[in-house]
Amino acid sequence: MPLSTAPEREGRGLVRALLSRLAQAALAALGASLIVWLMLPLAPGDPVDMILSARRIEEPTAAQIAELRARFGLDLPFWRRYAHWLAGVVQGDLGLSWRTGAPVVGLLADRLPATLRLVGLGFVVSLAWSLALALVAARWAGRWPDRLVLAYTRVFAAIPAFVLALLVLQFVVVGLGLGRVLSGGAGLTLALAALVLGIDRAAGWTQLLRAALLAEMARGPADVARARGAPEGRILRVIALPAGLLPWLTAAGMSLGGLIAGAPVIETIFTWPGVGAELLAALSVRDVPVIQAFVLLAVLGYVGASFLVDSLALWLDPRLRDGGRP
Amino acid sequence: MISATGIDPTAGRHRPPPHLLAALVRHPTGRWGLILTALLLTAAAAGPWFAPHPPNLPDYAAALRPPGPGHWLGTDATGRDQLSRLLDGARRSLGGALVVSAAITLIGLIYGTAAALAGRWVDAAMMRLVDVVLALPGLILAFAVIGLLGPGYVNLLIALIAADWAWKARIARACAQAAVNSPAAEVARHLGVPEWRVVARHILPAVFWPLLVLATLGLGGQIAAISAFSFLGLGVPVPLAEWGAMLAESRFFFRIAPWLLLAPAACIFVSVLAANLLGEALRDLATPEGRS
Repeated sequence: MPLSTAPEREGRGLVRALLSRLAQAALAALGASLIVWLMLPLAPGDPVDMILSARRIEEPTAAQIAELRARFGLDLPFWRRYAHWLAGVVQGDLGLSWRTGAPVVGLLADRLPATLRLVGLGFVVSLAWSLALALVAARWAGRWPDRLVLAYTRVFAAIPAFVLALLVLQFVVVGLGLGRVLSGGAGLTLALAALVLGIDRAAGWTQLLRAALLAEMARGPADVARARGAPEGRILRVIALPAGLLPWLTAAGMSLGGLIAGAPVIETIFTWPGVGAELLAALSVRDVPVIQAFVLLAVLGYVGASFLVDSLALWLDPRLRDGGRP
Repeated sequence: MISATGIDPTAGRHRPPPHLLAALVRHPTGRWGLILTALLLTAAAAGPWFAPHPPNLPDYAAALRPPGPGHWLGTDATGRDQLSRLLDGARRSLGGALVVSAAITLIGLIYGTAAALAGRWVDAAMMRLVDVVLALPGLILAFAVIGLLGPGYVNLLIALIAADWAWKARIARACAQAAVNSPAAEVARHLGVPEWRVVARHILPAVFWPLLVLATLGLGGQIAAISAFSFLGLGVPVPLAEWGAMLAESRFFFRIAPWLLLAPAACIFVSVLAANLLGEALRDLATPEGRS
């Protein structure tokens, strides 16, 4: 009986590792949804009172209260409400908003595409900008371009995204007379908001990738190539970059949660019609179903992105397939 | 495994250098972090005594004054003195970040050490809980907690503690695990040293120092988060001063009064920078290689 060939075994290992990561991702999403539900009893006040205050009803009648209880299933035991909600989620139903009584899905479906565009573009900007900066820094390590990049990352790591957004609005938009253009064009607003979101995240990622590249440039393979007369730029591209890219991508995927969480404030400042405004309205009146839906979506986005990055890492580096982690 | 933070829990050699303060002063960037931090903390602690005006008292006759004598950093749209408000707000922006970082460190220290000492299924159960919490990105969890508790400064601090404790607990547990099995602890046990003394002398110090470094590195993020949530109106209520809340209040006057943007932004920037510089220096000093 012929032995299975190496590539075949490798392929099977990849599929098994991917399936295990997928199961982990699904479990993580389920666990996160459970956490949000388990925190619900911590919220002070009866849910009915929360709904009433969210709708600014001062003196409810007994009939109103009974109607709300029945409508939102508040009389059911906790586990049945969670199970009911989970069953709804699987069918694409996220419940009713406490504030407006409208389905949460409809509320978010209108606005989610705008947020996804913003976060997606911000992610791409962040990856591209930090890659470029880190390559410059590593190519001229210890010299002035490197020092400049290092100083740049120190400064930008210390400016929160919302402060950067306010500064950009004040000095770039108003300063360059873009105000009129901005109110008319969604494209420019998106570009500016995504730039702010991406540039803000890029500072930390640049520091990570720069450190990884410098470490690779000091290791054996780079030394061998150097001894054989390869130019520094080529060593960086061919040897250091592939080795340093993986931990950087993993870290970037893991901090995507911060990018998603940073979106609402950027959307508010640039008046970008994403889920941010909806979320803030829900937060200020404790509209729990909307908040739960936002958390669920954020976790799904985060878990999904981590899964993609993990898969990429597994595909690039077979050593990780036996349960190892980069 | 070296994480993105540069803390290697398995190494068991993260110790403060003998003369921490002197080492920090010698460190090229740590020096500046130390000086800036000291200045900011002094301003936050002693600010109310130096504040030239009451921070929350409007004076409509003096609205939107540019910086000058009497109002060194100008006044806002209701004529409140910006310097006084910045000094008053420092206690909430910086003090809040310190409280959150201290609470996270303490919770992480106790939870992680307890899990490592308990071992077996207790350890496994405690760490599974941490895994589940970590599936939620920290700031998203903070949004959820604020959503459930309602907006407010104390609720914001609780939310930020909830957002970050699990990560610290996991690192604390890894450090404690390494310390429990360290040769020094083994020898101490064989010599008949009681277990509580082994914990106090060998395990807690091995966990505390890395957590302190991480807490300092995280301080900048906490300052940014407190001001960002307050900017969104989910933190400090009006009329109390906080740097992010001040930016939100003055947002629509930046065109005619840019000092209302620049001064709070500079305060946030310098604070986060100071915390980052200090944290990076502490991280360098935490490993023997970093000290040279």
